[in-house]
Formats: sequence, structure tokens, C-alpha cells
Amino acid sequence: MLAAASVGALSALGGCVDEGGVLSLGADPEKPTVAILEDRSQTFALTGTPKYRATKLAVEEINRDGGILGQEIDVFAPDPQSDNMRYQDLTRHAIYQEDVDALWAGYSSATREAIRPIVNDHEQLYFYTTQYEGGVCDRSVFPLGATARQQLGAVVPYLIEEYGDEIYTVAADYNFGQLSGDWVRIIAEEHGAEVVGEEYVPLDESQFGSTINRIQSADPDFMMSMLVGQDHSAFYEQRLASGLEVPVGTSTNMAQAYEHLRIDPPALKDVYAGVNYMEELPTDRNEAFVERYHDRWDDDGYLNQEAQNNYFSVYVYKKGVERAGTFDQAAVIDALEEGIEVEAPEGDIALDPATHHMEHNMRVAHADENHEITFDAERKIEPAFLHDVGCDLTSEDEQTQYEPDAFYEEA
Amino acid sequence: MSLGSDSSGGLLAAVREPFEGPNTMGNTPAFWLGLTAAVTLLAAMPVLFGYYAAEIGAVFLAYALLGVSLCFIWGYCGILSFGQVAFFGVAGYAFGIVAINVPTLTGLTLGLLAAVAVSTAFAAALGYFMFYGGVRDVYVTILTLVVALVLYTFLGQTAGGEWAIGDARLGGFNGMSGVPDLGVGIGSVGLEIGIVGHYYVTLGALVVTYLGLRALVNSQFGYAMVATREDERRTEMFGYDTTFIKFVVFTIGGAIAGLSGVLFTAQNNYIDPSVFGITAAALPVVWASVGGRTSLIGTIGAALAIQFVDYQLALSGSEWALVLIGSLLVFVILVMPEGVAPRLHEYVVEYRASPDPTPAETPAPGEVHGGDD
Amino acid sequence: MAGIELLNFGFEFVEVFAFIVLATVGLAVIFGMMGIINLAHGEFILVGAYATTFAFAAGLPLPLAMLTGVVITAVFGLVLERFIIRHLYGRLLDSMVVTWGISLVMIQLVRIAFGNSAPGVGIPFGQLPVVDGPVYYLVLATIAVGVLGGLYALFAWTDFGVRARATMQDEETARSMGVDTDRMYMATFGIGSGLAGFAGALYAPVMTITPEYGTGFLVEAFVAVVVGGSSVIVGTILASGFLGSVNAAFTNLAGTFMGQVAMLVAAIVAIRLMPDGITGLLADWRENRGESR
Repeated sequence: MLAAASVGALSALGGCVDEGGVLSLGADPEKPTVAILEDRSQTFALTGTPKYRATKLAVEEINRDGGILGQEIDVFAPDPQSDNMRYQDLTRHAIYQEDVDALWAGYSSATREAIRPIVNDHEQLYFYTTQYEGGVCDRSVFPLGATARQQLGAVVPYLIEEYGDEIYTVAADYNFGQLSGDWVRIIAEEHGAEVVGEEYVPLDESQFGSTINRIQSADPDFMMSMLVGQDHSAFYEQRLASGLEVPVGTSTNMAQAYEHLRIDPPALKDVYAGVNYMEELPTDRNEAFVERYHDRWDDDGYLNQEAQNNYFSVYVYKKGVERAGTFDQAAVIDALEEGIEVEAPEGDIALDPATHHMEHNMRVAHADENHEITFDAERKIEPAFLHDVGCDLTSEDEQTQYEPDAFYEEA
Repeated sequence: MSLGSDSSGGLLAAVREPFEGPNTMGNTPAFWLGLTAAVTLLAAMPVLFGYYAAEIGAVFLAYALLGVSLCFIWGYCGILSFGQVAFFGVAGYAFGIVAINVPTLTGLTLGLLAAVAVSTAFAAALGYFMFYGGVRDVYVTILTLVVALVLYTFLGQTAGGEWAIGDARLGGFNGMSGVPDLGVGIGSVGLEIGIVGHYYVTLGALVVTYLGLRALVNSQFGYAMVATREDERRTEMFGYDTTFIKFVVFTIGGAIAGLSGVLFTAQNNYIDPSVFGITAAALPVVWASVGGRTSLIGTIGAALAIQFVDYQLALSGSEWALVLIGSLLVFVILVMPEGVAPRLHEYVVEYRASPDPTPAETPAPGEVHGGDD
Repeated sequence: MAGIELLNFGFEFVEVFAFIVLATVGLAVIFGMMGIINLAHGEFILVGAYATTFAFAAGLPLPLAMLTGVVITAVFGLVLERFIIRHLYGRLLDSMVVTWGISLVMIQLVRIAFGNSAPGVGIPFGQLPVVDGPVYYLVLATIAVGVLGGLYALFAWTDFGVRARATMQDEETARSMGVDTDRMYMATFGIGSGLAGFAGALYAPVMTITPEYGTGFLVEAFVAVVVGGSSVIVGTILASGFLGSVNAAFTNLAGTFMGQVAMLVAAIVAIRLMPDGITGLLADWRENRGESR
């Protein structure tokens, strides 16, 4: 009885609270604002800092050239400190207090999943730009980084062609790593190759002796490494010192955390990465971009793949707003779903309206014994997996993440 | 919540009586007045600042409840658990599993009960394992930490589809999403608790737990707890079963931590393994140390204040945020070894003692702590 | 064939054993002897690694660079001891919160001062025949054993060691017998810090160096110290041997994930069965034998 009474009292009390509150001190609603929630401290600072900087650079460039629809863009950029709980609080702040018109947030998939319920609740336009496991089909989310299928689809067939058809997979033991392992198996199957061994390594492991031993005894033609983060990057030093000479394909190393610059050569000799972008890309457009970036941020940080993704996605957003003629988020999403092309540093690429992903310019980046990067096998790869599972956000709104094992026998 | 009636009158002493005693600071009308003011202020937050304050505030209040669970077992019984987050997280996951599978009012109610039951049982099992095995002091601390880390490592690799219980995917590092909001009821009779409701439920849980623990630590059992903390061997010689006392206290602590985990998870509609990580595990210890581990209200105040300051620093986006918060911790512990609340309590006692010769029981001013949010 | 596998297993054990010993000794001195729960242990290791890598990048030969790492960490530890840690003796749990705060501050200060990554060092000595592992791991294991031997000699045989142990066991009595206890605390903390720095220096070539470098050592170190119990040297050896074999065996049989989980579970069981650590059990044993005689 008492409980029922108090619950009743609660609901009555709840009824009289208004969404903004009596003293609501929200942002100036006239001025368009975007939120940049990227890590500049703790675990993901290494990869998050360039994302923050590139986004900031894009917004500043746009403001200098007259803004969007003639309006200057404000930036809300706290530091989420690589903490998912903090991301949730800051996302709420961005939505309630800053009333942001678009949100860029997060490096890891866990972060994206932590804030997606909030983003969905408020139908907040959200750009997630890290390369990721793929499969997110969500009305208000635009995952514009390359997916595992796009990256692995670039590098695995290339290595099968170059080296042979026996593959050994080593991946980080979490969602992204496990799904990437599934994708390697699927793509190998499609190209008549075989995964002869598979190993998932906990994220905080830094001793790879037994892993290297097992690779040696399996003796594959090449190995795929989807190792992630600071502890795992120790693998390459240990590979060199153990004399493991099997070529390595990867979707995670070099383009994001620039292992080829942080680790002394020749530890990354014959590492092949499937990427849509690396700072070393030798095109005029990219060299100009890299110069602008380093002029703006004058210390010598690496401009990584995700930073480039943030950069061009700001321009994607600009085009969306201009086409919609308003900052209204639903209208902008509809405008984006008509298809947008953008002149990104990686090349001219287009947004795929049905899946909210990009058709990326994928290439294989190769590190030689001096860690010099060369590029090969450039081609456009579309987000095919989401097409296969029937994700079409232009006709049906969803908030799902699809996984390959439900659709492929092999996985 | 029932404090509204405590403002004055002859009834006052009788109502207050079970909550007061030598084991708690703040046994004066002034203290209760301050506490009432602080609770009223907290209750006014959503009215003043809207949904934003309700959502963020509910998370902070759930943290405070987690802090209380540690303060109770550490401050009053000398058991320092570094793994309160284990019960917090296990209950969160348990609620998620039940609630996702049965998202009806009955299911949500069951989920809440089941989650608290699971965390209680888990704490009881771990407590039995430790205390009846003679594990003590710092070894309890490290053992509980290791338990949290095992859960962290284990849940981190549960990404695959095979790690599902019914419709609820454990989800590995990406966490379990789609956890419904709280609800209370049976069949179609009951109430789904929305954003603002959730805030008041959390605040209510915190206040009720606080009062309940005050009553408990000032009871016969409470005296035995404190005696166990002070000198276990002597307490045993007086005929108390100290092992059993520690076991019970630890279990109650696990239940409270579990409740806070449910409130936290339902608020965020999400939980991930980072709640078991070493950073998360350290937070309750920090709150209790800074606030004063022998003061429940101090721990609550410290949890709210530290999380609030920490949040404001993150909002600023400054690269010095972590340097500041770290230095602050070092400074507070060096300057006030016993914590903020006991130190304030001393000041108040001294202040009162000077004009008035009778040794007055004095308040730890609740409004100073509680009002920080 | 089985011979090679056994050899591989042996090598993995050496790798894990060396890691646990070196990660642990510094903490074992500071925690086991002085009763300071040093949650900034990882950041002491970080200081050693950064000093080493920057000294190496400046052109010092690797051994000298590592020595620089040790010295700088020891000095850093002494400074910290004078200003902060000495207020925390006898306050086991407060020391935990304070050192946690120090750890937050240091990681971020290193990031602000040196950026998000530091130059690499490269594993010296090349590879072993047959087991295809780095020779360097054997060097690490040898050094680990050497460090333990040296510590034993220092604390058991030298005048300083006796004074230091006396101070930790009974400060009052030690002081009344003319020991400068304040200096003993300071020196012991300096030794512990130097050892942590040594671990950082030795693993600088093996692991990549970022501000989070130290966190990778913390869990192993704490688990090993607690399982080892209060006798620093013997405890560290036995705990490292025990945890190392569990880790290596399960990693070898069932992969790295099982290796980690098995090690943690083994630690839980060990603490439950031996509430005073392995050396506590040994002490009980000796006492019982003494009584029955």
C-alpha cells in the first residue's frame, strides 16, 4: 500500500516536471551547434585526438568560407576521456543543454553502442566515423568509416593472390575482432582460400610468445592481424625478434594508430593494410589537406584514417543541410538520403542512401623494411553486406545492428 | 522521504530515536533540518533544470548509493571491498537479462527483484568463501578486486551470438543495450517509470537506504559491527560470532550495490564490462575515503560532489582535467586523513563546545554535501 | 616433436615468469615491506620506460639508457616519498586512494609533456634457434633471477638490509637502537621505485610506449604480491612460479583468454587457501614442525 501510494505520488510529481525545467539555461537556439565528442585523454587519446582536430579544422574552414546557409557553426567539444559512462552524460548534455544539430562521437564500437540508445531516443543526427565491424542500420546514425567487410574485402583477396590460400587469423577478443574473424572466413571462402588457424587475444595481453609459436607451427601463407590498442601493438616487435616472417594483412594497424611510425623498422615489414585513407596517400588533394592540417595543429601528430573520415563527414553534413535548406535534423537526414557526393582527401566518394554508409575508395597500403608506405589495388567498394540483409533506410526506419553469422553458413 | 513530518514538535525525538546513536554523526535537530533541506533541494532539481538534470542526476544518485554500500561495510565493519562494482554490474546485467526477455510490468518488477537477489546471493557466496576461509584485511581487498577483473575479462569476450540468454545478448565489450526502463506492477496494473520518475525512485532509494543503515548501525547489531571493526579478537571473546557478522554485513553491502546497479542500468538502458574495470572499481573507494568512511552522509556528499566536479572538468574539455581531479584527491587525503565529513563534524563540535559547556551531539551539515549537485 | 613442444612450453613459462617477477619486485618491496598500496606502481614503471626510450633516442647505448631509466625513477620515487608518501605510512588504505590520484595525474602529465606516443627502442639480441623466440626473453629471465638474488643479499646480509627490515617490523625499537628510521623508509621506497623503473626500462623494447604503458603491469603485480605473502623475495619467486606456470599451461592448452582467466582464478583460490600468502603458509608450517619436535 505504502509503495503504491509513493509510486502514485512519484507519477504525480513526474507529471509536473517540464522537459526544460523552470530555470532551463539551454544554448542560444538561433545558432547552429555541432558536438565533437572525441577522446583526448586516457585509452583512446592516441587515435581520438586527430579525430577531434580534423573535425575542428573542417568546421573552421567552413566558418571561414561563410558558414552553412550563411550561419556560423558553433562547436561543443568536451573531453569524454575514453569513458563510456562519461560519453552518455556528455551526449545528454549535448542534446539537452546545447541542443546540437549534429553529433560526432566516439572511437570504439562500445562507445557507439553506449550512446546509441540516447541518440535514438532523441532522433539525434549522429556521425560515427571509425572503421568498424559493420552492420549498423539506424535511421539517425551515419557510420561513415569503412566497414570490416570493405577493409578486409580490399586486403584479403589481394594477399590470397600474392601469397597463397592458407590464412591464420589473430584478432582482439571482443566484438570487432570476433566479427572481423568471421569476415576473413567468409571472404576466404568466396576466394577459395582457407583459414587454417584462428586465435582471439584479450585486449590487455602484451606477451605474444605462445601466439607466435602457434603461427609458426601452422605455417600459413599469410596471417591476418586484427589486433587493437596499445598492449597489442607489442606484437610487431615480438614478431620481428622471433623471426616470424609470414606476411601480415590487417584492417586495424597502421592507418589508425600509426604503428609504422611508432615502432622502429623493420618490425612492420610486409604488413599490408586494407584502408580508405592514410596520411601518406600521394595525391595533390591529400597533400594539400595534410598541409592544412599540420599548419592548423603545429605539433607532429599523425593524421589518421578516422580523422580524414571526420573531416569529410563534416562536408557531407554541410551538403545535407544546404540541400535541406534548414538545420532541422529530420529534414537533413532526408536530404542526406537523397545521396551526397563529396570530394574527400581519399578521393571522390558517395554516400549510399539506403544504408547511410559510404562507398569508399579502398586500397592496400604496404609497409616495406623502412616502413615506407606504398599503395596498390585501388578500387571502390560499396557497403554490400547491408544491401544483402535488406537494410533500406530510405523506405523503412530501423535501429538495428546486423551480424554476418545470421546470413552466412560459413560464419 | 518521511522527513517532512520531522520539522519540529515533541514527536520529533521519538521519530528520530531509531536513527540516532553513537555510531552516526549528526544526531541533532539542526542536522535533520539540514538533511531535509538537502533532500528537498535534490528533489527540486528536475523541476528547476528539467529532464537533463533528472537523467544526469539519477546516474550520480545511483553512484552515491554504490558509495553507501561500501561505506557501510568498510566504515562500520572494517571490510574494504575493492569489488563493490562486481555486485553493481552483476545486478545490472541480471536486470537487463530479465527485462529484455520479459519487457512487461511483471517482468520489470521481477527483473528488479531477481537482480537484487542475484547480487545478494553472489555477495553471500563470496562472503562465505572469504570469511569462513579466514581471508582478511588487505587480502579481502585484493580478492574482491580480482573477482571484478575476472568478470571484466569474461564479459569482454562474450560478443558472439552464442552468449545470449533468451533475447538478451551479453554483447561483449559493446555491452548489453536495449535494457528497458524500470517499471513496477503486476499484469497490466502498475506504472512504467519514466525519466523524471526514475530520478525520484533513485533519490527515494538513496534516502530510504541511508535511513535504514543509520537505524541498523545504531542497533545492537551495529554495535557488534563496530566492535568487530575495532578489535575482532576481543569481540569474539565477548561471545560474538564475528565471522557471521562480517558475512552478513558483506551480503547487505552486496544487496545495496546490486540495487544501485539496477538503477544505473535502467537509467542508461545499457551496461558494459567497463563497470567491472579497475577505474570503476576504484571510484567507490575514492568517494568513501574523501567523504569519510565512517560517515554515510559524507560518502554520499563526496560521491555527488566528486562526480559533479569531474563531470564539469570533462565538460570544459581541458587537458588538465585529470591532473586537477587527481591532485584534488591527493590533497584531500593528505590534509583530511579521516575524510571531509568527520573533519567538519569535529569543527562543529568544537564550535559548539566553546559557548556551551554541555558536550553536544552535533550535525555534520548535510546541506554542504548534498547541495553540491 | 613432443620435445619441441615441451621446449616451447618451457620458453613460454620463462617469458611469463620473467614478466611477473619484474613487474612485481618493485611493488613487493613497497607494498610487502612498507605497507603502501601503490596504485601508481604502473606509472613508476612508465617513468622508467620513458626515461629509457628518450635516453636511447638521444644516442645513449641501450644498457646506459636503461640505467638512466632506473636512476630517474628512483629519484622520482624519493621526491614523491618526501612530499607525499611519508605521510601515509601505517595508512594502508589511504595510500591506495592517494596513489590512485597520483597515477591519474602522472598519466595525463606524461601525455601533455610528451604527446600520445614515444619513439620505440627495438628488441636487441635477435632470435633463438629451435623455439623461434627472442633471445631477449632469456636475458630478461636471467635478470629477473639476478634481481631477486641481489635483493635477498641486500636485505639479508648487509647492514643496511638489517636496519631496513628492523625499521619496517618495529619502528620504535629500531629507532631506540639508533637506526635512522626516516632514512630507512626513504631508502627502501627509493629501492622499490628504482626496481619499478627497471621493469619499465627492461620492457621498453618489448612493448610500445604510450602514456598507458604502466597499466599493463598492475594486475599481475598485485596478484603476485598478495599470493606471495609478506616475505618479499621468497614470496615473489613462489608466486611468480605458480602464477606463471598456470598462465603458461592454460595459454598453451586453451589460448590466451583462458590463460588470463585461469591465472586470476588460481589467484583467488590461492588467497582463499592461504590467507597469508604462500610465505604465510610456509611460516605456519615451520612453526608446526618446531612445536611437534
